[in-house]
Amino acid sequence: MGFALPWALVGLVAVGVPLVAHLMRRHKLPRQTLPTIAFLRRVYASRTARFRIVDLLLLALRIALVVLLVLAAARPYRVVSSTLGDRQQALAIVLDDSMSMSAIRGGSTRIERAVALARSHVAKLAPGSEVSVVLAGKPARLRARQQRELDTIAEALADLDPSSSRAGDLCGAVSLATEVLQESDLNDRRLLVLSDFAPGTRAAECEWPRGDLSLAFEPIGAAERDNLRIGRVDVSREQGGSTEVTLDVTVEGAPAQDKARVVLRHKGQESDQAGVEWVDGQGRATVTVPSDVSPNSVVELRLRPDDALPEDNVKGVPLRSETIHVLLVDGDPHPDPRKRETTFIRHALEVAPQAARSFAVEVLDAQDLSETAIMRADVVVLANASLDTGWSALLRRFVSAGGGLWITAGDRVEARAYAGVLGDLLPARYTATRNEERSLSLASDTLPELEQASVRRRTPLEVTSLNANVLARFNDGSPALVEHRYRSGRVALLATTVDDAWTDLPYQPAFPAFVYSVLERLAARSPDRIEPFGSVILPGSTDTQRMQVVLPSGSTVDLPEGDRITFRRTGEVGAYRVLINGIEGERFSFVVDAPAEESDLEAGEPPEIESEPATGAGQAELQDERPIAPWLLLAAAFLLLLEVWMRQTRRS
Amino acid sequence: MNQVLDPELARRLAGLTLRAKRTVDGLLAGMHRSPHRGASAMFKEHRAYRPGDDPRLIDWRAYARSDRYSIKHFEHETQLRGTLALDISGSMRWTSGTVTKLEHAATLLAALAYVLTRQGDAVSLITFDDAVRERLPARSGPAHLEYLLRKLSAPGESAAPTRIQPALDALIEHSGRRGLVVIASDLLDTSEAALTPVARLQAHGNQVLVLHVLDPAEIELPYKQPMRFDGLEGEASLEVDPAALRREYQDAMEEFLTDSRRRVVGAGGRYQLAKTDTPAEHTLLQLLRSR
Repeated sequence: MGFALPWALVGLVAVGVPLVAHLMRRHKLPRQTLPTIAFLRRVYASRTARFRIVDLLLLALRIALVVLLVLAAARPYRVVSSTLGDRQQALAIVLDDSMSMSAIRGGSTRIERAVALARSHVAKLAPGSEVSVVLAGKPARLRARQQRELDTIAEALADLDPSSSRAGDLCGAVSLATEVLQESDLNDRRLLVLSDFAPGTRAAECEWPRGDLSLAFEPIGAAERDNLRIGRVDVSREQGGSTEVTLDVTVEGAPAQDKARVVLRHKGQESDQAGVEWVDGQGRATVTVPSDVSPNSVVELRLRPDDALPEDNVKGVPLRSETIHVLLVDGDPHPDPRKRETTFIRHALEVAPQAARSFAVEVLDAQDLSETAIMRADVVVLANASLDTGWSALLRRFVSAGGGLWITAGDRVEARAYAGVLGDLLPARYTATRNEERSLSLASDTLPELEQASVRRRTPLEVTSLNANVLARFNDGSPALVEHRYRSGRVALLATTVDDAWTDLPYQPAFPAFVYSVLERLAARSPDRIEPFGSVILPGSTDTQRMQVVLPSGSTVDLPEGDRITFRRTGEVGAYRVLINGIEGERFSFVVDAPAEESDLEAGEPPEIESEPATGAGQAELQDERPIAPWLLLAAAFLLLLEVWMRQTRRS
Repeated sequence: MNQVLDPELARRLAGLTLRAKRTVDGLLAGMHRSPHRGASAMFKEHRAYRPGDDPRLIDWRAYARSDRYSIKHFEHETQLRGTLALDISGSMRWTSGTVTKLEHAATLLAALAYVLTRQGDAVSLITFDDAVRERLPARSGPAHLEYLLRKLSAPGESAAPTRIQPALDALIEHSGRRGLVVIASDLLDTSEAALTPVARLQAHGNQVLVLHVLDPAEIELPYKQPMRFDGLEGEASLEVDPAALRREYQDAMEEFLTDSRRRVVGAGGRYQLAKTDTPAEHTLLQLLRSR
């Protein structure tokens, strides 16, 4: 109990007022003579005892009345300790299911303990309460919204995955929970946060609700130092013709585990392992990738034995080099290889410097273009190719899934066909081919040397895409090379040929650099490392191609039909392989990395903000200050009525 | 006289005739019928002489006519002796308004003295508290009336308690013959023997009239606030809330009035409550008409 205005208690001296008035009344009564006083005395004598009792009661009543009024003026309140279950309320439970909450102790994870606590809180709620559950693993998710069926909430909590590889998004979860609470019609709204408050949680950075929302924190779990994680992995390839690939692995964490070792896995099989050597507090191990493993595949590393947090003991490693796979589709094949449409560009790629990104080139006649061939490439170059209407879906799917497409002009390019079949896939449309009376030169900001080139014939371009980039122009200002992004891929259009039929560009010294720059721009790959539950764009299945994703756990997921599929089943940490009709499509493989900040299992503290104290064992006690003044005033009113009644009774 | 007898009251009382209920002996002729036969202007009857009769009353003329001794009866008007007893104890000097009980009692007695004197009766006066304090002999005539009224207007100071019995006993001793005895008092003598002399006065052939003079505040106890009450005759003070006791007090006063009336009437006297807020002539008219 306390008083909001304790100084008002000084008014208790007013208790003396009725006392003094009582005594003063006896000494300062008006005097009156009365001849018949003997009769009055006789009557009074018969009622003296009753009068004395009533007078004392009246005095006590008046003193009590003054005391009550003074106490009410001091605005007293009583501090009520209550558990969450004492009254009907809107409760939002923010349950941290980030990776650090997967730490195991005593056979159960922190998530399981948090779930148990949450269920105990829910079980204590008064009927009619509503519960929302927000999960704080990235991204923050609303598991249940204002659910009044408390049994359903308990079941939903019980269905939570006890382990997680997610990064933390506590701030997002708090924001989401606050929004949900503010929608509630109930007055008593509380936010309960169940988290280990590990350093990766960054709870102090969150915008915690103020005002009429009550906050309670329940720290989960104790500090764990017995945790290792695979840090950086360097891929080394032997030079001099050897294909051996070694992985230099860095292990982070406490160096106490002498028995720790790193195991290399590929396609679910363990192929190599190495013990971890600790140097200067950092563990190191080197494993060798077997030669039968494709150099563009992905492998997986695992730390053994398991520690407190097994999720960060796994790391996927993409082996693929920076090589760009280029598929040259020759639209004007010639028996003499030197006269093929793609001869110059192939030669340019073959002389590409090894220090830069290397190119793997495959040449196909246009009539041989197939789904299988195109899905192996990073960039497809259609060189003076007469358009097959069947290519439309193939090319759209390829580009949508992140592929690059470069179309070059030539005699076989029919402007109307390209515009009609490929439409918005293209950044521009071809117009009528024409010869130039005076040769045109090229101009490029990135390759000034192109101005040396001379173009005698061209198919002028008319830009149609709103986000088109003109990478090179003719000296008359018209676009020579236009590019734009189409979904996850890129498409470029050249207004002249890449052989010497219309231009001397292939003979220019800048031609290889021009080709490299265009291909590198078009081959911009989607990231091959994503965080857990991140999304990756993959080509969907078709009638003839079955696309599958093999998860780190070995299970396979069939991708539905479509040009591009956003794949989100990335909750497992490790290497993901993509199979195209059962054959590994290496350019689509990717890895999911455990969030590094979640590996720190040091015990954290709730943010130092004004909040309700929480105690363990599911008894989050909340301190409420409930005003007593209204009750005191009610009692005073009752005493006043009683005093009036007693006075009347005394007189009657 | 004017101090105690309002001229207006005197005028209104002038037409009234006070007649005693019983005939009394008196030397002075008056309007009262005497039970004694004797010389008088008004002949009543003849009757036969019986031994023991006063021979002076024999009607010799009737003897001459009838040769029988007969006695001639006359109806005599006798002179009334009125005795007025005024309580001058301390309690009689109290008032809740402007007129004290003593003043009111004196007014009533003065009116009676005026009436009695006017019809030729002799009037005496005694004042008393716990004993007889002053006595005026019975006389008639305007000079005596004026002297008597002067005494009524200044009956003297007293703080002694009321003692009725000694005063009435003294009256019995000094009342030589039958007459009218009027006692004006608040009767605040609650002793059992207080009014016992009334019966003896009645037995002596007196007509006793008791004027019970009280202030209405004494009957009603109209006070609303708690007060400290003081007595007028040496009683200890009392602090009470009169509102809380009013009903029981009024019951007690009612019992007192009833008891007083019962005692007076039981002794053969007449009782009249004379509240100070009731006009004196109204009280007297009630008293005389009842006769």
